[in-house]
Amino acid sequence: MKMGEVELSCLAYAKMYLHASQFPRSSVNGLLLSSSPAGAAVCITDCVPLLHSHLSLAPITQLALTQVDVWCSQTQQRIVGYYQANACVSDSSPTPCALKIAEKIFEQCNNAVLLMIDGEKMFPGCRVPPIVMYERKDARWALKDKHTIMLRQWEETCSIVNQLFSSGDQTLLVDFDSHLDDITKDWTNQKLNAKIMELISPANGNV
Amino acid sequence: MSSISELYDVSWEEMRDKLRKWREENYRNSEQIVDVGEELINEHASKLGDDIWIIYEQVMIAALDCSRDDLAWSCLQELKRQFPDSHRVKRLAGMRLEALERYEDANKLYDSILQDDPTNTAARKRKISILRAQGKSSEAIRELNEYLEHGLSDELTTTTLSCSYAKAAFCLEELMMTNPHNHLYCEQYAEVKYTQGGLENLELARKYFAQALKLNNRNMRALFGLYMSASHIAASPKVSAKVKKDNVKYAAWATSQISRAYQMAGRGKKENKCSVKAVEEMLESMQITMS
Repeated sequence: MKMGEVELSCLAYAKMYLHASQFPRSSVNGLLLSSSPAGAAVCITDCVPLLHSHLSLAPITQLALTQVDVWCSQTQQRIVGYYQANACVSDSSPTPCALKIAEKIFEQCNNAVLLMIDGEKMFPGCRVPPIVMYERKDARWALKDKHTIMLRQWEETCSIVNQLFSSGDQTLLVDFDSHLDDITKDWTNQKLNAKIMELISPANGNV
Repeated sequence: MSSISELYDVSWEEMRDKLRKWREENYRNSEQIVDVGEELINEHASKLGDDIWIIYEQVMIAALDCSRDDLAWSCLQELKRQFPDSHRVKRLAGMRLEALERYEDANKLYDSILQDDPTNTAARKRKISILRAQGKSSEAIRELNEYLEHGLSDELTTTTLSCSYAKAAFCLEELMMTNPHNHLYCEQYAEVKYTQGGLENLELARKYFAQALKLNNRNMRALFGLYMSASHIAASPKVSAKVKKDNVKYAAWATSQISRAYQMAGRGKKENKCSVKAVEEMLESMQITMS
């Protein structure tokens, strides 16, 4: 992979999509993680869904960032970005809260990405990934060139997401908010991750 | 009778823009809206594009104010045709029935919306205004409480948060006053105060997180919030030794409660070990920075 390229794994994409679908009338957000070493390119290998209400309130966000940070250091992952889907589907621009959190992440990761989910493109059969990415350039967050964003095996990824919905497994997704409502729920989504990896591996090769 | 455009020498675009301005700034100059809107609709409908629907709505409401049921009816028909299953249009139909004082029929309509969507604020508000119009104040209050119970406070808070933290705090203060036993309002209020920042707000936050816990000792957000606000206060160079000591105690208490809750949750479930460990480490690391 080349300098400035960003790769988004099927696992990360699927969970983001599921998160946004689970709360269609709310804004949702989460963190993007990488298990690859730091380099010129960014490989987003996983994500942690965080909130589905009151995204702009500080305490829970701070709490989540700290916990995810700790979990990452235990599992050899890094926080490399932030995603958000706005409640208002026609507006996929980053909110002040999104920019704030992305800045914080940028302080620790100099090729951090800010990913906005474009609600208008989130329908079955859409040919284009419903995402808009931003990167830090000249002290502001600028739109990333679409050609530097890699979503390998896009059709496979779409089919996996569909399978999750038809098997009802999309309900397995737990975000940090839901975890706080019931702390027996696992915000690291081990169960769902396993299900997705199962769908990825046999016929489809590594996605 | 000459048209508005002739009388005032305005183009249809200017008329449309005027309507938008009145809409955005919530003017209730109904007679003007009816005059301008009616002409715009009758003469220039095809040019308005998708704006026409919101204009129909705006004109319809103004028409009701001016007892122009003919106009209100025709606007409603257009909206019904375009959005046959819409709750928003149903609500407009309800408003027309209210204007005709057909309150039973209006209520039936609103009830059908609420059956579909119990969180529909607009429908509940109309029901409350009908009760007020009929002078049934105790029933109005009952409806108001149901309004608050259906988690609509969340709508209120979300909406006001997008305006400003101060507005959200104000809104929550009212909610706490009328619902002193609701731990969620206390906890949300505390979160807003914490977010606003500064020592005074942090202390308020801590107090309200504690209050939320008194009302519901299993509110994890409140527990974490108490821990975080107390820790920040204790770490502040501006506080007295006594305040620091007190807050260290609060934070320590919160830590033990959090650890206990996570240990009980993690019992027997392998996948929760991640969460438990993460919390333990987080609490440890935060304690180090605090001292």
